[in-house]
Amino acid sequence: MKLATTALAAGISALCLAPAAAQTRAPLSILRVIDADRYDPVRSTATSAAEVIFMLADTLVSLDFDMKTIKPLLATSWTVSPDGRTYTFDLRRDVKFCDGRPMTAEDVVYSFKRWIDPATRSPVAARAGFVKDIRAADDHTVVYELKEPSSDLLYQLTLSFASVVDKAAVEALGQNFGVQGFNATGPYCWASWTPRQELVMKRNPHYTWGPPIYRNPAPQIDQIVWKIVPEANTMMAAMQTRQADVTYYPPHIAIDTMKRVPGLNVQQQKNYIYDVFVGFKVNKPVVEDGTIRRAANMAVNKDAIAKAVYFGNGTPMHALLSPTVIDYDAKAASLMPAFDPAGAARLLDAEGWKPGPDGVRVKDGRRASFTLYGIRNDTGPRITEAMQADLRKVGIDMQIQLWDATVAWGKLATQEFDAFILSYPYVTATEALNLYFKSTQAPTPNRMNWKDAKTDALLDAASTANDPAARTEANAEAQRLLTQANVWIPLVTQQMWLVSGDRVEGARPHGLYGAGLYKGLDLSLKR
Amino acid sequence: MLRHVLQRLLLAVPVLLGVLLVGFLLMQVVPNDPAVVRAGPTATQDVIEGIRRDLGLDRPLWLQFALYLGRLARGDLGVSIINNMPVLEELGNTIGPTLELMLASLAWSVPLGIGLGTVGACWRGGLLDRAIMMVSVAGVSVPVFLLGLGLVWLLGFTFPVLPFSGRAGPLWTLEGLAGIILPALTLGGVFVGPVARMTRSAVLDVLGADHVRTARAKGLSETAVVLHHALRNALIPVVTLIGLQIGFLLGGAVVVESIFSWPGIGRLAVGAILSSDAPMAQGTIIILSVGFILVNLAVDVLYAVLDPRIREASGP
Amino acid sequence: MSETIALTPEAAPHADFAVARRPSLLRALLRDPLGAAALAVVLLVVLAALLAPWIAPGDPYGGDLANTLKAPGEAGLLGTDGQGRDMITRLLFGLRTTLGMGISAVVIGCGLGGLAGFAAAYYPAASGVVMRLMDVLLSFPAILFGLALTAIVGPGLRAVVIALSVATVPLMARVVRGAALVVLRQDYIEGARALGMSDARILTRYVLLNCLSPIFVFVTLRFGQVILLGATLSFIGLGAQPPTPELGAMAADGRNFLFFAPHVAVLPSLVIFVIVLAFNVLGDSLRDALDPRLRR
Repeated sequence: MKLATTALAAGISALCLAPAAAQTRAPLSILRVIDADRYDPVRSTATSAAEVIFMLADTLVSLDFDMKTIKPLLATSWTVSPDGRTYTFDLRRDVKFCDGRPMTAEDVVYSFKRWIDPATRSPVAARAGFVKDIRAADDHTVVYELKEPSSDLLYQLTLSFASVVDKAAVEALGQNFGVQGFNATGPYCWASWTPRQELVMKRNPHYTWGPPIYRNPAPQIDQIVWKIVPEANTMMAAMQTRQADVTYYPPHIAIDTMKRVPGLNVQQQKNYIYDVFVGFKVNKPVVEDGTIRRAANMAVNKDAIAKAVYFGNGTPMHALLSPTVIDYDAKAASLMPAFDPAGAARLLDAEGWKPGPDGVRVKDGRRASFTLYGIRNDTGPRITEAMQADLRKVGIDMQIQLWDATVAWGKLATQEFDAFILSYPYVTATEALNLYFKSTQAPTPNRMNWKDAKTDALLDAASTANDPAARTEANAEAQRLLTQANVWIPLVTQQMWLVSGDRVEGARPHGLYGAGLYKGLDLSLKR
Repeated sequence: MLRHVLQRLLLAVPVLLGVLLVGFLLMQVVPNDPAVVRAGPTATQDVIEGIRRDLGLDRPLWLQFALYLGRLARGDLGVSIINNMPVLEELGNTIGPTLELMLASLAWSVPLGIGLGTVGACWRGGLLDRAIMMVSVAGVSVPVFLLGLGLVWLLGFTFPVLPFSGRAGPLWTLEGLAGIILPALTLGGVFVGPVARMTRSAVLDVLGADHVRTARAKGLSETAVVLHHALRNALIPVVTLIGLQIGFLLGGAVVVESIFSWPGIGRLAVGAILSSDAPMAQGTIIILSVGFILVNLAVDVLYAVLDPRIREASGP
Repeated sequence: MSETIALTPEAAPHADFAVARRPSLLRALLRDPLGAAALAVVLLVVLAALLAPWIAPGDPYGGDLANTLKAPGEAGLLGTDGQGRDMITRLLFGLRTTLGMGISAVVIGCGLGGLAGFAAAYYPAASGVVMRLMDVLLSFPAILFGLALTAIVGPGLRAVVIALSVATVPLMARVVRGAALVVLRQDYIEGARALGMSDARILTRYVLLNCLSPIFVFVTLRFGQVILLGATLSFIGLGAQPPTPELGAMAADGRNFLFFAPHVAVLPSLVIFVIVLAFNVLGDSLRDALDPRLRR
């Protein structure tokens, strides 16, 4: 009885409190499918970390919605020396950390040195180029000196890895920086993180220095909650029933439906770059044969995969790199074999791969069979099964082994497999090609074990070019060479679709390194 | 009675040691390198080697184990290899929501199951019994994810009356209470069937037994017979069942936690084991196993309370 | 755990039970319409699984990406899945894999568990060690075993079968031991011992036969649980690997399309449901048929 009375009283008081609570706006909730392991800019390569860090911290320069144009952010202007080895950045004077402390050039120098310090164990240190020295010329000038020119440096400095962080917070938190706390100069400040559940950020009250790609340089939302919803159906229903405000991870199958739901705003970022590809370990039996690789490239129906697996919301790739990217080469694309299963069969026949008793081709007593490793995500199983069926039709047997996301990276670092499927975001051709195809990058991320002196020379030329035309030419040569070698089967460029509810205004998809909302500016809530 | 409980507690010690040993060995043979997991997809070999040294993974196995046991003895479960979060803190954060979910599920499914089972047994063979058995057999047979997704589709999506995107707050708030309804309906939904079935069998067994026949012969009313003699004895196997089914419930909880984005220990355990986060996986295994042992201990004690013969047998 | 776990002693079978029961079992089972129906479903399902390669209309692996997620009737009687494969074919082959997984796990788990249970009941000296070992096994929920095993041997049917077997062993051991202890308390066992019968003879002739009732009930119930648990493990991605057709994995595969093409997830789930239902009803019928006091 007493319990019932207490419950009743609690209920009544809750009801009375409800109107008062409604006056403060509910936080903006963003849904995503996976959490990051940590939010330390230089210690995570996950897009799920980058999308949050972009809002918590700032970089010297920013990237426009076209994914090509560099714009100011913490640096108002910069100069590059004629030899391309010295970058001088002039910093804004009005920048403050979340705790109110003014930012100086020393903070930038500290953050960059931490990024490249071997003791930090940063997996992304190479992105900073061959650094000779980084120093503060005065309180508002940073000098970035390289041993050789880095044609890609400004683009790399737009990424979250190059974020400016607070030395005091890093030193106080140690390994727990980006786990239990954070302090930087982003439009939003770290409030709390419950791993695999939610990350809460609050408006940075000092912030007025947003990049010029936005209309309003100051944040207008008091609180943002990033929620993890792994289940596709739950995610979709939550958006449709307004339990959440924004997501750019809508299930592919649901995008067309969501476009028709009144009050849901669905926008596409047409310049988005996030490619899915299959790579071959070129020193493993069977797939070491360029004929097999070329035939496989011809046998896989990429259009059908884009249509069936992505429900039309994926773009089939007919080139090594996305046509949107800087230094994309159309001539290299024309060298990519077209979908032609009959041609693939003829090619295999001509090269001595004859059909065996079970339909799988054989040459010199070796079956045309190989094993592919990949990640078990929403599309992995369906793409690989479709490929498997396509390849079987031309007499190639592909065994599939998919792994849970966290285990997969360990498995993909081994030499157990012959081919692998991955997806990755990138900004420039220089970045993508240097990351994956340089011989020094083997065994990971150059999981193909592609060790070719000519490729290395071209990639070096591209990354150290001081002249954009030379860089473009070197990248083009490299694309042609790699396309003809069929080291990869490019499959699909994923599309970015930003879905927002009717409470949200000013949402526009960006998509740098997968970050759909980038700095989270121009966003506001109607109620 | 007290001696009985103490005896059980003492017997739980070797079980716990076994659990620790098996847990440690399992995590040691996992062929997954935590340093690689931590370094991420684009890391080079140098970085991976560096992280391995930082984490002490280059030390001999026995030393790692000894260091681990030493810390364990001081109540230190270590920190996550993946994100450096203290294991104890993560366990503390996730055990509550899981307990909440399990208790909320048991709170409605066990009474309902026992009620349905008893009613079925009393009207054995009748239309009501058949209907109840149909429902409970269906409940035993339905895959938990189908029930969960079906409920989301029906009550969250088609008729959007209940929230389903996670734990909105503690149970004593309105949001928290509303948020747990669908998950608890799902998890409890697969539990009503087993409880009803076992209750019915047990009550039927007891109704045919000598002392119940005697009670009937003494002219006691059927209600009195069922409530005082049959149900009391029948509760013993039912209690066992519930104790034994905690693991089954946990399996369901992992799925329910994933469907409803519930921040529980099931999802934590799955993630930790799959990412070879040894300290975290160890922690979840220890906590879950200790919980399981405690439940079984409680089951034993309940036996003693429910079954007078044991109470007498082990009394002082 | 200990002596206290014995099933209610009142349920003890009578001495003449073993002799009287045998001939009428099938007849008693068939007299119950539900039991007969369940038996028919089980036989049908087993037959369908055995004959899958010959009766399936399509290719379980090769799909047609131009024809994905077709509703039942639109393409084939039951439609197609996300890869454009015929659902009937996938279901028939899935049935084969799932039943194989369930049967292996139950046979291995119940075989080992039964041995452990009888040993613990018959040799009190072994009881403590055996049952303590069972307690350790029980302290690991099957789902954790499945996860850890997956990490070791890699995801796949093998890991699932091992995990389900290991999870079954202690449960079976407890049930068998409880039932055997009740039987061993009966006067006729003393009689048999006095007559100089060997342990093995007593165990097979009396104890095993008189424990069959709870064992049958447990095994049928357990079969359902094993199938469901296997489906749960597959749902988290630990079970059969693509493109192997397995009902649990198929259901998990289809869940992403639940709101758009529900048949892809619902049909395999329904088949799981029907199998488990049939075994559970059959178990009930068996129980009724085996227990003379309840048979009227």
